[in-house]
Order: sequence, then structure tokens, then C-alpha cells
Amino acid sequence: MLSRIASLLIVLASLACGGRSAPATSAGTDDFGAPVRAGTARVPARIVSLNPTTTELLFAIGAGDRVVGRTHWDVWPDAARRVADLGPGLRPNVEAILARRPDLVVLYASADDRDAARRLADAGVPVIALKVDRIADFRRAALLLGAATGELARARLVADTVERSLARVRAATAALPRPTVFWHVWDAPIITIGRGSYLDELLDVAGGRNVYGDLAQPSPQVALEDIVRRDPDVILAGAAGAAQIRASVPWRAVGAVRRGRVLVVDTNLVGRPSVRMGEAAASIARLLHPGALP
Amino acid sequence: MIRFEDVVVRYPRAPHPAVDGVTLDAPRGTVTAVVGPNGSGKSTLVGALLRMRPVERGAIRVDGEPLAALDRRAFARRVAVVPQRETLVFSLPVREYVALGRYPHEGAWRGAAADDDAAIDRAIALAGVAELAGRATHQLSGGEWQRARIARALAQGGDAIVLDEPTTFLDIAHEMAMFELFARLARDGKAVLLVSHQLNLVARFADVIVLLHHGHVAAAGAPSEVMRASVLEPVYDWPLVITRDPAVGAPALLPLRGRMR
Amino acid sequence: MVLLAALVVAAVAWGTVPLAPRAVALAVLGRGDPGTVAIVRALRLPRVALALLVGAGLGMSGAALQGSLRNALAEPYLLGVSGGAAVGAVVAVALGIDGAGVLPLFAFAGAALAIVTAILVARAAGGRADPRVLLMAGVIIGAFANAAIMVVLAGASPNTVRGALWWMMGSAAGADWAQVAWLAGYTALAGGALLWMARDIDVLSLGEEAAAALGVHVERSARRVYLVSSLLAAATVAAAGLVGFVGLVVPHLVRGAGVRRHRPLLAGAALAGAALVVAADLLARVAHPPAELPLGAVTAIVGVPFFLAQLRRLS
Repeated sequence: MLSRIASLLIVLASLACGGRSAPATSAGTDDFGAPVRAGTARVPARIVSLNPTTTELLFAIGAGDRVVGRTHWDVWPDAARRVADLGPGLRPNVEAILARRPDLVVLYASADDRDAARRLADAGVPVIALKVDRIADFRRAALLLGAATGELARARLVADTVERSLARVRAATAALPRPTVFWHVWDAPIITIGRGSYLDELLDVAGGRNVYGDLAQPSPQVALEDIVRRDPDVILAGAAGAAQIRASVPWRAVGAVRRGRVLVVDTNLVGRPSVRMGEAAASIARLLHPGALP
Repeated sequence: MIRFEDVVVRYPRAPHPAVDGVTLDAPRGTVTAVVGPNGSGKSTLVGALLRMRPVERGAIRVDGEPLAALDRRAFARRVAVVPQRETLVFSLPVREYVALGRYPHEGAWRGAAADDDAAIDRAIALAGVAELAGRATHQLSGGEWQRARIARALAQGGDAIVLDEPTTFLDIAHEMAMFELFARLARDGKAVLLVSHQLNLVARFADVIVLLHHGHVAAAGAPSEVMRASVLEPVYDWPLVITRDPAVGAPALLPLRGRMR
Repeated sequence: MVLLAALVVAAVAWGTVPLAPRAVALAVLGRGDPGTVAIVRALRLPRVALALLVGAGLGMSGAALQGSLRNALAEPYLLGVSGGAAVGAVVAVALGIDGAGVLPLFAFAGAALAIVTAILVARAAGGRADPRVLLMAGVIIGAFANAAIMVVLAGASPNTVRGALWWMMGSAAGADWAQVAWLAGYTALAGGALLWMARDIDVLSLGEEAAAALGVHVERSARRVYLVSSLLAAATVAAAGLVGFVGLVVPHLVRGAGVRRHRPLLAGAALAGAALVVAADLLARVAHPPAELPLGAVTAIVGVPFFLAQLRRLS
């Protein structure tokens, strides 16, 4: 935690006195602890991004035409679909990545990817590993990517815009009563969101209260009985999950199901922190508080 | 009662048949013994009778009826077979074990009836295993188990009993008791078909001996005809001397010391 | 049987959410707080019923297979049932098929296919009804199925993998009365068939030749037992995923109580199996609220010490 604040401060400090015209200095450390070099003298021209959030970000900050590889799940914006699909993001195929001749690879910072990061570094390719799991991570990721690609100003703009849109939603719902919400992530086993997760934060911004906010894990497994007991006002689920709930007889034990309060969210939009976070929060707010937002 | 007519049994993919044209008759009231060296086809005959070995040619008949036409349970009610090998994975009380012999007489749901109990008691007494009845099969010695299996076959009832090496684990007293039992069963009218290595006891108790050699009948007849050195030596490939045992007056075989090579 | 009844009562009274006994009793009759009634009638009763049926089915299947295969280590999933069912289920999960009754159908179809394949493989190897060849065929199919599952899961999303693993570890959650009714009918039919064949199994357990000598058509009879037992196991898998150890341990427990003939043994195994799985399901629900443990994991944890005790008794 401390090292993150420190690295953020370093980034901010270097940005404050840097910008496009600074020489290649350290822009901070990524989430594997490796240093990130600010790309000014050598702006990366062939970037492989193995994470939907970072791919979106690269397109948003104007580096989209330099992206030469993405994962199977990176399908927004539409332009991203034209980029070569290098398979699932975790445990990426290093050979396939190297075949794209990248001069920068952006990975998701999970234990599964450490090996790939090391091998790419050994092959002389700069790697940035980013964990974008919470709302706060987004700004940091944006700024680091901005610094690395020489688009820092655009990155700051994107981060600011997103934050403003989130603030707007929060303001619109602040005074309204908060319904208790059960967020249905998966059906068998029943998985929901806990305090440590992005969706929990998003729900909070959108004016809802996570009925499992007392659990500290990001993706806890829960029993149906317990959900019946906690009696959420609303259930949010993806389209498939909502269909499963409606078709299931045991789920009818939950009051919200009987009252028809199973609402469908667009899982592609709200699934993870992204440049469209404001839109995501707004979509949820509209479900929970119809009429509160235009 | 049981008749093998020119039976040929060949195992799949085998170059030679295991039983090559055997004709053999086991009538009621007779003890018929099948003898011969290892691999001569004795157990294969029993296997063919149980429909577990493929009969290529020839016929097996029970009281004139072809085996294939007989329902298996009906066959089991008329002919009791004690195979050479059996597994004993789960232990049973001995009386239960003998009671399994009544299976061919039972319906799917009908439990034990009065005549079943009588048959079981009679079988236990005949086979001399009354003192074992309270124990479990896992607790029996090899010989005691063998006698229990014979009791089970007796509980099946029927007019014929076929036994494949029934006395391998028995001591002298029990072995003699078994052979006397076979003789008695024959006197009472059953057909007794016996496969045995015990040439001397066979010579004393059997009415007919059938000698098998490489799947053919090498000799068949009364013990005095078959128990001759000239007949047995070429089949068993071992020097033998046939004497007359003084006590009972039956031919007795003495293997001589092996040839020096 | 008394034990089973007590366990059923306990399993309904306890659960993830603590409820007062009086409230539970009232809820069974449909009275009281709607939330409690919903929990008791819509959630707990069906799943206890399902657990009961699954346990009974597995107990009987295991006992029948141990007797007819003459092997004390035989268990219901032997003829490739677990592998085949798992492949069916994983394929359904991976294809994103989420209709209510569809996954069990896939699982059952997979299991049935595996059983038939095992029998055909054994026959092609010339084994007729030879248990050893059949066992090996089952092992081969199981290994193949595992490989197939790993291939499918390798490229799947994390939630798909979690869902597939959850299914493979067994669960009575999500039981509804329709499922219970279907499984009850099936179990009654298959269980009845096995009870009818009980005497045959008594004789089959003596060995091929001895069984033939007593008048059993060994190949036909044995195959019938294998098929009915395995299909019964497949039904339990379709209903509740893979619940291991029950079919293996329960027959030994009943035999240890002195039951030998297969008619009472099968009946006893049904009761004991039902009791074991109901108890395991209860444990799964109360061990770590609000989460549930997978049923298969609990039966293994409960089953292992029992099995060790049996081994000690044997030696």
C-alpha cells in the first residue's frame, strides 16, 4: 500500500515537472514492481495489450492505432476488433506475442502472468503489468500508460473525464434512499460481490447498498438460504444469470424474485473498471433509481 | 445321464482343440472318473458342461436332451457341478453358503421354503460339515471350505453331480470320507462324474475310468482295464508300476524314480 | 432407519441460516414468517429429499457392483460414470447452456455413453463379463474423460472453470421438487430392479463358474446388474454432481453390521447411504456460513476415517 502511494507520488512528481518534452525517465513502477519508463525519446509504436481495460485505455488516449495485439475478450471499441486476437489474457502465449514484434507489452498483473512477464523481459521487450481492479486503480493505470506511450496529457484528460462522470452519478443519487442489492455473478455455485470488489464500489456510486457488503472477499460464495434471509430489495444479474434465476424454482424463495425485482445489467459494460465507468455507474443508477438521471 | 458325443472344444485363436472328439457317458448309479495329465482337457469338459467353453462340434446331452435346449436353472436342478475354482470375497455363514445351493429352485422373490431347509440340512449331514455350520466361510480351512462346497452341490438336489478335483485340500480321513460319499451317492442312484488326479482312490471307487490325453480319450473302461502300465505310461510319460493293493484288492499305481538324464 | 429419520429432522432444522425449532416446525406446515417458510419448504426440504435419494441410489449401486464384480473396492462410478458425466456437464457449462434441466441431461447422457462404451470395450477385448477387463475399461474411459475435461477447461473463462469444478465436487443446492420427483421415480425403479436381482448377485459373488453351476446365465445376469447399477449412479450424478465415497463405504458398513445376503444388504445400503448423504449435506451447509461446502468434499472427509477403520478391522 505504501509503495503504491510512493510510486504514485513519484509519477505525479515526474509528471508535474515532465510531460511530453521530458527525457526518458522513470514514470513509476508497475504492479509487479518493475520500473516504467516514460516514452518520449522512444515512443512505442507496436503495443500488445493483454487486458480489456488497458486496450480500451490505449484507444481512448489516442494510442489505438499503435495496438498490434489484444486478448480474445478485448472487443471495445469496435476498432479493437480489427487488432490481432492473441488468445485468452491469462497465461498468454509468449511466442504469439513476440510474433507481433512489440516494443511494449501491457499485461494484467496476476501471478499467472509473472512467468510471461519475465520471459518477455528476457527477450528484451518492455513490459508493464497493471492491476486494474478498483476504481482508484484506473487513474493510476491511465497515467502510467499515458507516460509510457507519450500521451500523458490525453491520459490525464481521460482520467479526469471518467472521474467527473462518476461524481455526477454519485451526486444524483446521494440523497435518495439506498435499496439493498444482491449482485448475482454466477449461479452454480452462487457467487456474489463482497466489500473488496469493483462492483461493490460501483454499486455504491450508483446509490445502492450491497447486501453482502459485510464480507471482505471480492467474490464470496453464498448459500441461497442466506440470501432469502438477507432479503435484498433488488437483484442485479447479467442476462444469462437473470434467465437462470427466473427459471429456477428454489430462487422463488427470495422475495425480490417473487416481486419481479430481478434487473438485468450489461455485463460487458459494468464488468470491470474501464473508460466507460461513468456510463456503467449511470446504467446501474437508472435501474435502481428510475428517473434520477437523464 | 450325461453324455458327451464326439465333443470338440477349441479356445479362441488356439491352434489345437482342448477337447478333440471326446465321447463319454456318465450314467446313473455309476461313479465315472475322468483322469489324465495336466492339459489333457479334463476341466475343459466341465467348462463345456457349464456352457462356459465354446463347443465347436459334437453334442452334450442330459438324459437325451441337448444341453443348449435346457434352461440353465432347469439344468442346475438336475445336475450339480462343483467347479475347481471359486472366489471367496465376502464371508458368509456356512449354512447360508450351503443354502445358495437352493438357488435353482427359488423364484425371484420367494424366500426359503420348508423343503429347502430340509434339503440343506440333509446336504450338510451328508457332506459331514455339521460342525462347521455355525462358522463363517472366511474362518474355514481349505479343506473345510471344499467340503462346504460339496454340501452346497448336494443341496442342489438333482440326479447327477459333477466334481472337478474335489479333494485337493483334504487330508486322508476326509478324502476317504468324500470318496465313500461318492460311492454311496452312486448306489443311491445318482450319476457321479468325477475329475481327479487321485488315480489310486479313483481305481478303488470308480466304476468307469476315462483316460484323456491331449483332448482324446486314450482309454475307457473298468479300473482293471485302464490301470495298466502299458496304458498309463505313454500318457503320463513317467515310469510306473501297477500293483494290486492287498487291503482292498484294487489296482494301485506306484510312480518309479525319475530317469537320470 | 431411526438414525435416518433423526438426520432428516436435523437437516431440515439446521442450515446456513439459524432458525428456531418451533419456527421450523410451523414452517413445514406452511405457517409463519414467509421468509422462514420459503427457506424450509422451498429450499431445505427438497434438498434433504434429494440428498436422501442420492445417498440411497449410491449405496445400492455400490453394494450391487461390489457383489457382482466380486471386488470389495468397487464403487458406483466404476464403469466410467463419473468421467462421462463430468464431460457432459463440463461441455454444457462451457457451451453456456443454462436451461434449468439441461445440464443434468447432458451429464446423464455423458454417463450413459461412457457406460455403454466401457461394456463395448470390454467385450471387444474378449472379456465377456470378466470383471477385471470391465474394470480396466472403466479406468481407461475415466482417464480419457479427464483429459477431455482438461482440454475443455484450458481455454475457458475463470467463472466457467469455477462452475465446472463446483459441479464436479457435488452439491444438493438448487434442488427443486420436480427434480426430486424424477429422481424418486428413477431410484424406485432401478432400486427395485436391483432388489429383484439380489439373489443373482448372491450367486454371482461366488465366481463365474460357481454361478454358472448354480444355474445363472453369468454374462447376461452380470451385465444387467452392471447396467442398472451404473445407470442408477448416473442418475444421482445428473441430480447432484459427483458425490464420492458413499457407494464404496456404505456397503462395507452394512456388511460390518453382519448383513450378508444381498437383499437385506441392498436395502440396508440404501438406508445407510441416505443417512450419510443427508448428514453430509447438513454439514456442508452449517460448516462455513454463508458459504456452502461442496457435498463431494464432505462425503470424502467423512468417508475416509470410516474406510480406514474398516481397513484396520480387515487386517
